[in-house]
Amino acid sequence: MRVIGKSVGRKDAEEKVTGAAKYTDDYIFNNMLHARVVCSPYAHALINSIDWSKAEKVPGVRSIVTGVGLPLTGEEIRDRSPIAFKKVRYHGEVVALVVADHPAQAAEAASLIEISYTPLPVVNSPRQAFQPDSPLVHEHMEAYEINVNVYPEPHTNVAHRTKIRKGNIEKGRMESDVFVEGSFSFAPSDHAAMETRSCFAEIRPNGDVIITSSSQAPFMIKKLISSYFGVEIGKIIVNTPLVGGAYGGKASVQWEFLAYIAAKSVEGRPVKILYSREEDILTAPVHIGLDATVKLGCTRDGILKSAEILYLFDGGAYADKSPDLSRAAAVDCTGPYHIENIWCDSLCMYTNHPYASPFRGFGHSEVHFAFERTMDMLAKKLKIDPLELRYINAIQPGDTTPTQVLLNKSNVGNVRACIDKLKELMDWNGETKIESGKHTVRTKGVACIWKTSTIDPNASSGVILTFNPDGSVNLMSGVVEIGTGTKTVLAQILAERLRLDYDKIHVKMKVNTQTTPEHWKTVASRGTFMAGRAVLAAADDAILQIKSIASCILRVRVEDLEIDSGKVFVREEPGINLKFEDVVYGYTYPNGNSIGGQIIGRGNYILRHMTYLDADTGAGKPGPEWTVGAQGVEVEYNTINHTYKVVKAYSVIDIGQVLNEKTARGQVMGAMSMGLSFGGRETFYFDQHGRVLNHRLRTYRPLRFGEQPEYAVEFIHTPHMEAAYGARGVGEHGLIGMPAVLGNSLSLAAGVELNHLPLIPEQIWRAKRRPQE
Amino acid sequence: MIPTDFEYYLPATISEAVHLYRTLKNHGKKPLYYSGGTEIITFLRLHLIETGAVININAIPECRQNNLIGDSLTLGSSLTLTEIEEANVFPLLSAASAGVADHTSRNKITLGGNICGMIFYREAVLPFLLCDSYCMIAGGDGVRKAPINSLFNKSLQLTEGELLVQIITQKRYLDLPFICIKRRQQWETGYPLVTVAALRNGNEIRVAISGLCPFPFRSAKMEADLNNTKLSLEERIELAFRHLPAPILHDVEGSAEYRLFVLKNTLLEIIPKLEAGAIA
Repeated sequence: MRVIGKSVGRKDAEEKVTGAAKYTDDYIFNNMLHARVVCSPYAHALINSIDWSKAEKVPGVRSIVTGVGLPLTGEEIRDRSPIAFKKVRYHGEVVALVVADHPAQAAEAASLIEISYTPLPVVNSPRQAFQPDSPLVHEHMEAYEINVNVYPEPHTNVAHRTKIRKGNIEKGRMESDVFVEGSFSFAPSDHAAMETRSCFAEIRPNGDVIITSSSQAPFMIKKLISSYFGVEIGKIIVNTPLVGGAYGGKASVQWEFLAYIAAKSVEGRPVKILYSREEDILTAPVHIGLDATVKLGCTRDGILKSAEILYLFDGGAYADKSPDLSRAAAVDCTGPYHIENIWCDSLCMYTNHPYASPFRGFGHSEVHFAFERTMDMLAKKLKIDPLELRYINAIQPGDTTPTQVLLNKSNVGNVRACIDKLKELMDWNGETKIESGKHTVRTKGVACIWKTSTIDPNASSGVILTFNPDGSVNLMSGVVEIGTGTKTVLAQILAERLRLDYDKIHVKMKVNTQTTPEHWKTVASRGTFMAGRAVLAAADDAILQIKSIASCILRVRVEDLEIDSGKVFVREEPGINLKFEDVVYGYTYPNGNSIGGQIIGRGNYILRHMTYLDADTGAGKPGPEWTVGAQGVEVEYNTINHTYKVVKAYSVIDIGQVLNEKTARGQVMGAMSMGLSFGGRETFYFDQHGRVLNHRLRTYRPLRFGEQPEYAVEFIHTPHMEAAYGARGVGEHGLIGMPAVLGNSLSLAAGVELNHLPLIPEQIWRAKRRPQE
Repeated sequence: MIPTDFEYYLPATISEAVHLYRTLKNHGKKPLYYSGGTEIITFLRLHLIETGAVININAIPECRQNNLIGDSLTLGSSLTLTEIEEANVFPLLSAASAGVADHTSRNKITLGGNICGMIFYREAVLPFLLCDSYCMIAGGDGVRKAPINSLFNKSLQLTEGELLVQIITQKRYLDLPFICIKRRQQWETGYPLVTVAALRNGNEIRVAISGLCPFPFRSAKMEADLNNTKLSLEERIELAFRHLPAPILHDVEGSAEYRLFVLKNTLLEIIPKLEAGAIA
């Protein structure tokens, strides 16, 4: 192939390496005002009064806004006022907003607003939220507007419950000889993207609402602002410049509401809001926490027969996307194995913690930690090689998933091929513990992963192509460039289809919802799949137009024409040809007569045959395909201090087709790094009052350069027949197994089951001291 | 972004700096001596401190001194930790300061700032406590010289308006065998659970500790027990632990219990190595 698979330079490379790339906060207008939030110091409290008399005296202050009279918001359940009204439900929740001429004036005024609270008892974990006598985070859930396919349970803290009932769990238990059960947990944590969230909004005299945001979901901003604030949808225009890291944390819409409300409070003048790092960690939605119990049953030979699972997700104070997260976790609740009998309840619990947004992997690294740790416990009990246990149970075409989707050779990757490759890569010969020093041992841990997307069944993606007079093409897609290189890959797909030089493809990096066709949200590793199909459709549309005009000029049938290297020619006689530049911008005959005009190609793609999940059994088709993989890690553990070093981390992912070798590897390694960081260090520490104690980078510390292990990444190629060139989604998958492999290798090294994240040495020390069962 | 306004001064001499402090204080400006600024900037941004004026001491030649003349090493308080590490005249100090924050921050963090700041780990002070160094302190009455071990009690005991100008260390300490180990919650980034700096002077082992308590310390009583070679190492450590100051930190970095476990292991690792011989 011409350019597919090649590591061509990214279209955004020069901008970024020179520091010239512009992000939302880099745009400044001279009439721009600045907003600053006032955040709740309590996790759960009544707001008695708000006194802004001192704040309004600060020079430059234009307005102060509180939660009075604002609509409720929330993608799945409309339970959240954009500024808290009467009650706060998490530490860091916005209680007031100050707009001023200068950010410093807004900040000073914000510090002078006096708020009186009455603290309420807090719900400090999903397990506590699940207790019958727990305080309620939302007392009148039944009054909220609820999205289709969401099942809250009023008078409890259950925001949503997904039930998976596959096969017959009683039968599964009967057929099982060996059982293991494990309980797992971890607290919410953060995305810690380099660019903190920011947005600016203005309302023009004609009523146009113009918003620029650091977001993965510009088209969702448009829909939600329209729906919540009653603005005609065509009057809302959302711009998204480059985004400096997102990881799901910018798929939720939150700061945009604040910018809009702020602009509205000052007669529509442009207002910018930029979260400080502390606000970005605390106020903005976070990475979800989980409390899980997994019970597995299998035959003496290790054939899995039953899985009974309870997932209690820490959705935090407001539902927003977390019912969907808990649903996605139910969809792939078992890891990539064929299990006939599955009973799973995946619950999204309200707590008084910061609320959750998607996080790279969308619930999968979370449930894989619980499930893949249990698989290792089972292998230990059976005394068989944990990789062998995974191999014999690996899901394959002909099997069905927990939501009863029948798999075929296209819609699922090859788990066994991934395991074989991993064995080779890791030099795997069963579970071994090798003494590497006086007080150190080396162990390896493994896990298998899978993921499909669970996005809206009607999600679509569109592409427009316009041609330039020199025969080059402009590519416009609603995919946001969040750092993944998707727009580079789309350019490669287009170059391949048009048989044109990659350099002749010009990519529009920014999204403008008025001129860029919609891409639902840049999430779920679906950018390349959906937009890739739209690119192919648009390319085919443009090719047909080029051929139609050429057929007229060359006096041949359309079917007899071919394109290559910027020319359209007669298949049999390539000497009869026209250059693109003579066709794509209109053709002019010698006498001045002209035909054609600028060629505009269009294409779109909508997911096919997606369904909602059945409320009682979970049956349904949530996504088009499953990317699968096998992962591993080698650690060196100090038996005295319980400290450890991650020596090497491995991923084998069935990617279908590699579109750009280096960006694909970069995606997998970057995701692995995040996974190790989440598994090994990142967490929020809460005090007994539900307050986050480490909302600063001094105490919240993602993996630093230099702390990373050596990475080994390999690919398997089982094409997804529906995707452009067979490529599977790969943006998230490198992360999914990392917490589990870390847990598995360290449990072996330490000789104790390690079921709580993050796996810091103190955690291991505690587990070692706990009386063993 | 720092939301409040403050004045900025860049005096060229010690007396100018001290004089400025007094004047600004009398005008109610709550002045602060400023050098690297990493802590002041963060704390102002978070409203944890307030000031109407900062006095940058970086232009004062004495505060920038870094020389080994005759029997003593003089280090100015506004030398950055990176400068100290790169010069590496005092390897124990290089080792202790190399663990502070990260390289980019250490390009800004200064010796004086690390020792006199509010963030209580103050790991750069440990080597000076071990080497019985002297501080040059500027105040209204000129510059005075004081032994660090009498001046440092949890923090440097300066009267308001006094400025740490230099720290002087006798040359003979610079090449003594030492070990400095920083143990963190996880891997190579973050505040210490425990940092132990130790050196051997003849047959005597000296130990200074940061991260265990909300202040660094060196304890003569603990050292006496640790040097009691008639007993087993375990027993020596156990006895020394009776003299640990309070409170033991219990926070997001780690529990008090765990910190003691880590300290014990660290001492078990350090002492035999130091007793065995010279280690750089």
